[in-house]
Amino acid sequence: MNSRQLNSRHLNPPVRSRREFLRRTSAGFGSLALASMLGADVQAPHPLAPKQPHFPARAKRVIFMFMHGGPSHIDTFDPKPALDKAHGQPLPFDRPLTFAEGSTGALMRSPWKFKQYGQSGLPVSELFPHVAQHVDDLCIVRSMVGDSVAHGGAVLQLNTGSNTFTRPSAGSWVIYGLGTENQNLPAFITLKPGLSHGGAKNWSSAFLPGIYQGTPVGHGGVSVDELMKEPIEHLHNSRLSMSQQRYELDMIQKMNRATLRGQDDDPDLEARIEALELAFRMQTEAPEAFDISKETEATKKLYGLDDDYTRDFGWQCLMARRLAERNVRFIQISHEYGPGNEVGWDAHSELIRLHTRTALMVDKPIAGLLTDLKAHGLLEDTLVVWGGEFGRTPISQAGDGRDHNPYGYTMWMAGAGVKGGYAYGATDEFGYYAVEDRMHIHDLHATMLHALGMHHDKLTYFYSGRNFRLTDVEGVVAEKVFA
Amino acid sequence: MGGLNLETAKGFRKGGAHGPIVSVESPEQSRLLGALSYEQPLRMPPTGKLSDAEIADVRRWVEMGAPWPEAPADAADGGSTLWSFQPVKKPAVPAVQDIAWARNDVDRFLLAKMEEQGLEPVPPADKLTWLRRATFDLIGLPPTPAEMDAFLADKTEGAYEAVVERLLASPRYGERWGRHWLDVARYADSTGADEDHRYPYAWRYRDYVIKAFNDDKPYDRFVQEQIAGDLMPPDDPNARVNAEGIVATGFLALGTKLIAEIDKPKLFYDVVDEQIDTTSKAFLGLTLACARCHDHKFDPLPTTDYYAMASIFASTKQFEDLDGAVVSKLYFRPIAPDEEVAAYEASNKEIADKKAEISKVEGLESKRYRDQHAPRLASYMLAAYQIYSEGGEAAPLAKRDGLEQDVLERMAEYLKPQRERRPQLEAWYAATDATRATAAQQYQESFLATIELRENAEKTWEKEAAAAKAAGKPVPDKPKFFAGDDRFFTEINAAKGPFGLPEEKRDAFYLDESKAALETLRAELKALEDKAPNPPMACAVNEGEIVDQKVLVRGNVHNPGEPVAKRFPIALAGRDQEPITSGSGRLELAHWLGSEHNPLTARVMANRIWQWHFGEGLVRTPNNFGKLGEKPTHPELLDYLAARFVESGWSIKQMHRLLMLSSAYRMSADATPEQREKDQENRYWSRFEPRRLEVEEMRDSLLTLDGSLDLTMGGALMEGQGTDKEFSDARKSLHPDSTKRRTVYLPVRRSNLPTLFSLFDFGDAAISNAQRTQTNVAPQALYMMNSEFVEERAGALASELLKDEALDDAGRVREAYRIVLNRPATADRVDQALSYIAGFPTDGSEDARSLAWTSFCRTLIASNQFLYVN
Repeated sequence: MNSRQLNSRHLNPPVRSRREFLRRTSAGFGSLALASMLGADVQAPHPLAPKQPHFPARAKRVIFMFMHGGPSHIDTFDPKPALDKAHGQPLPFDRPLTFAEGSTGALMRSPWKFKQYGQSGLPVSELFPHVAQHVDDLCIVRSMVGDSVAHGGAVLQLNTGSNTFTRPSAGSWVIYGLGTENQNLPAFITLKPGLSHGGAKNWSSAFLPGIYQGTPVGHGGVSVDELMKEPIEHLHNSRLSMSQQRYELDMIQKMNRATLRGQDDDPDLEARIEALELAFRMQTEAPEAFDISKETEATKKLYGLDDDYTRDFGWQCLMARRLAERNVRFIQISHEYGPGNEVGWDAHSELIRLHTRTALMVDKPIAGLLTDLKAHGLLEDTLVVWGGEFGRTPISQAGDGRDHNPYGYTMWMAGAGVKGGYAYGATDEFGYYAVEDRMHIHDLHATMLHALGMHHDKLTYFYSGRNFRLTDVEGVVAEKVFA
Repeated sequence: MGGLNLETAKGFRKGGAHGPIVSVESPEQSRLLGALSYEQPLRMPPTGKLSDAEIADVRRWVEMGAPWPEAPADAADGGSTLWSFQPVKKPAVPAVQDIAWARNDVDRFLLAKMEEQGLEPVPPADKLTWLRRATFDLIGLPPTPAEMDAFLADKTEGAYEAVVERLLASPRYGERWGRHWLDVARYADSTGADEDHRYPYAWRYRDYVIKAFNDDKPYDRFVQEQIAGDLMPPDDPNARVNAEGIVATGFLALGTKLIAEIDKPKLFYDVVDEQIDTTSKAFLGLTLACARCHDHKFDPLPTTDYYAMASIFASTKQFEDLDGAVVSKLYFRPIAPDEEVAAYEASNKEIADKKAEISKVEGLESKRYRDQHAPRLASYMLAAYQIYSEGGEAAPLAKRDGLEQDVLERMAEYLKPQRERRPQLEAWYAATDATRATAAQQYQESFLATIELRENAEKTWEKEAAAAKAAGKPVPDKPKFFAGDDRFFTEINAAKGPFGLPEEKRDAFYLDESKAALETLRAELKALEDKAPNPPMACAVNEGEIVDQKVLVRGNVHNPGEPVAKRFPIALAGRDQEPITSGSGRLELAHWLGSEHNPLTARVMANRIWQWHFGEGLVRTPNNFGKLGEKPTHPELLDYLAARFVESGWSIKQMHRLLMLSSAYRMSADATPEQREKDQENRYWSRFEPRRLEVEEMRDSLLTLDGSLDLTMGGALMEGQGTDKEFSDARKSLHPDSTKRRTVYLPVRRSNLPTLFSLFDFGDAAISNAQRTQTNVAPQALYMMNSEFVEERAGALASELLKDEALDDAGRVREAYRIVLNRPATADRVDQALSYIAGFPTDGSEDARSLAWTSFCRTLIASNQFLYVN
């Protein structure tokens, strides 16, 4: 086997023999069953076999709800009474670099009222009345910090840790570290990802082997109806029946096995035999996972599938639950940058209209997902993360909008032993800078990996002369977010 | 620990204010271990105690004497002990016992080591296996049945050489080997990163590379041109512009660029960094970019070496306009003589001017349309209310009030309450039946006031600007109005808003004089566009403003430190370098890289050529010849090849002849378990390593199955410039199924590669890729089983076979084997195939036979024997 093939020294020390190889990969992996199904004495290596975390994990999987465009934290989860008072006044300190350098104005108060919810009494604005009902399950991180003022760098950093270099995405690192318990579905699925601001780089495996890249299902701009026809490419043969295809596959496998040289080691060819069988199983399993017709009307309503505003993101949220149930390791759903051909969260102008419109699209589906995850007992071991690539400025832009703000903004987490009804960190009185318990994107990644039972500084990959990791040379686990 | 510096061995040994922190003599006394133990007041690391195992590792390391990697300081005299930094010396060819096996010196180097290890090379592969291997290796396509017959018929030893010569002379060769180089050069047709703007002329560089391989351009010249071809004299002494040389610098120009980065100095130095990274990996097999923030941790490359190189690229023109706008403007360089470029630019300007004239006429008409309706705004709003609120119909209402029906319909659509809040309409919605007319009147007055305000402001500015111009004073900025200053006004006037002039009404509304003017202008525009010359441009670099570069502390562009002169890494080029006193230094860099005196250039390329034939390099980390890279399995052979390479005039084709006519290249991939056990990773090259087809080979050879491969060479398959809307499919690379051209010609949009590419391990076009990975995953299998593309190929092949009346079914099976698998079918296989076809579960349809044959063809395509080269 070539060193560039999987299971080589990059992942493990060199595999010296087939025997050693079997020993190393046999633990907890279901391919023995497969081998017997094939009637062959093979046990092919699988780089996605489930692996033990470094320490007992709180989370078995992640659902990351990405709000592409950057929702305003001071209009949603981080109220700023001081801003109300200072409305219309100039910013009393130096303005940092903004995206739209020429068009920023004075301080602008939030047009939405905040109310306290739940036992915790954490405030949430009118934009999220449904999510607010779950506030006791949310750990609201009000002190997020990133390094990029523009979307491209910020989206890349949120997804890969780096706003400059090509690095593997967080989901790729997670499945590289943990493998997956369901070999019949991709381990890392990203629903309707955006093609802009880095596009496929945001779910790419970069220098990790290609098997760790995310599987995109549709992309921003594709309607849900269109997408459901063929959620994963090449999943369906348009000409052959299942039994004809099985007949064909048996022939291919017969030919392939004939080329295995006796008792010889040939993990690469064996892997291909297995890949064909897995593909065949995926053809039944994947469509079933994406078929929501058996969900009750009540469930569909819960996610807002009955409403044009919420149907798209509602479908994504419902799919997130269905994929979580099927043990997909890393599930990313995206509220697209430009729903219906105009911007969503990215309100450089018209904050009021655009934020009410966009919040309407996601509020009910998100609440539905939290309710449903709980009902299915999945919230306990699923880490749910919500947020955009940055927040927005307390000063106005173009008269009635807000610019990008990576210096202090909000994301929230739920589930998987995260402290609910808890606000972590804080921004300054206007919400411009994170000032307390700053959580840089690197720290967020370290914390996510921690929830999954991994030390972020030990999840490494040797490439181009050194070890790389998701958190580069940074990252501090925010222990306080865990109960 | 005041003053403690753990960055260097020296700092570490010196220790902090309290002296050394380790004691090699009595490790247990080391203060370092004390701090780690968390049992003393000083506890490290502050974030939490290390695990026992980790502390044990540190203890073992201290006991070993705390060894430290080679520090740059050790190379202060310019020398280094690193093997790859030593001059290439052509070694003596070793003697071997099995004289008969060795066909050439390459074999002798390999065999000598095998004999040392008690290994025997596996027997040679059969002729057809060799032919398939050689053909895919050199041209990325399978041999044709005719080529197979000819090769089998030629029983002479010269048959092999004839095949190699035939393949090297084929233009298909450059398309295959050029693609190898394009991987190393991280070639792509867009900037990737954030905005993914197209590189509209990247294809010229790709075509240059393909041609360079086909022409067997000497590699030293090839290296030099990619760094500074624009500064070198053209091959043709009569040429006034070295177009080819300029295009070659696309190597530098086509990297990933985060062009919407707001911190422009950072963007600029990220581009420089990307060039240092690619250049040092591609030509030197070094990871010099590691020294951006700190001295290289393992190789003798201090940060000053990095910035000495950065100084060269920072003095190179990289952008047309770096900081004029949020999105930096890419640089395109003319490749034609001045007058041709002037004609092109003049034509561009004429076209732009003509378009501006057209917009001006259209703009005035749109304004006239708005101004006609503005005084009736209140009536429109009131009538619209009756439509959206009371279910009134537009036609009678328009008639009643003397309004235009379509304007009224758009107004009703706009005013209709939505679920999102629109502050600009809240006063309107607050109005009651009693106050609505007044409210409408107020909206109208405000609307007219805004028109007046803006027009006055513009008029005032025009006067001031004219006066300032006349007085030679700076012209004040034109008054700027934000959309949000009066959102209602903006939306009513939007192109698709109530007062926007719809496309279909233009003809009727435009004044005759406008229509006449537009007709003339459009005809003129078309004439201009028809005669517009092709852009004589390339994505390339140029000499820039010469920079006195400073070290950027910790890689931070906003933190300059000591100045550094332009030069090359000291450990390689020595301290005594000719100073670079004029220009960017690119030309000097080019000559230093493309030189036989550089110990790395020939070694690194010889290793690549070996790897692209044998699957692995003699150095198995082809982009890293540094300390953390692997050492060569056969250092003497590598030096022998490097020396031969230089002696041959840096001819890559000579290297192919040398390697491919060896016995080593003729070995079979079939090894006995004993043979494998003895040479598990094939580090003695005692057998041939099979490999999976790369995505280009796979797609191209599938297209040969039904003869549909289009062999047109070169040119662009992508149109346009800039980027596309986020939800646009135009963001994606061209779909591979949309053309029959060879895969190397498909444009590579970095941010959204074709699925086929990512599926079959094309790699990441963002960074230099020295070696494709080979994965075997289910989505690849789904592609073979279900894709339309494979279905079409299999179907077309099946129907060709069925059409051939001269063949019986057994003959058809044999022919399919020859075409798809490039070998004869044994009698067993023919029987197996015939019973497969006969037993195919039919659905009773008429085309059952064609279905069965298509399926049979697909079984061949999806089999390992097609996908692997043995």
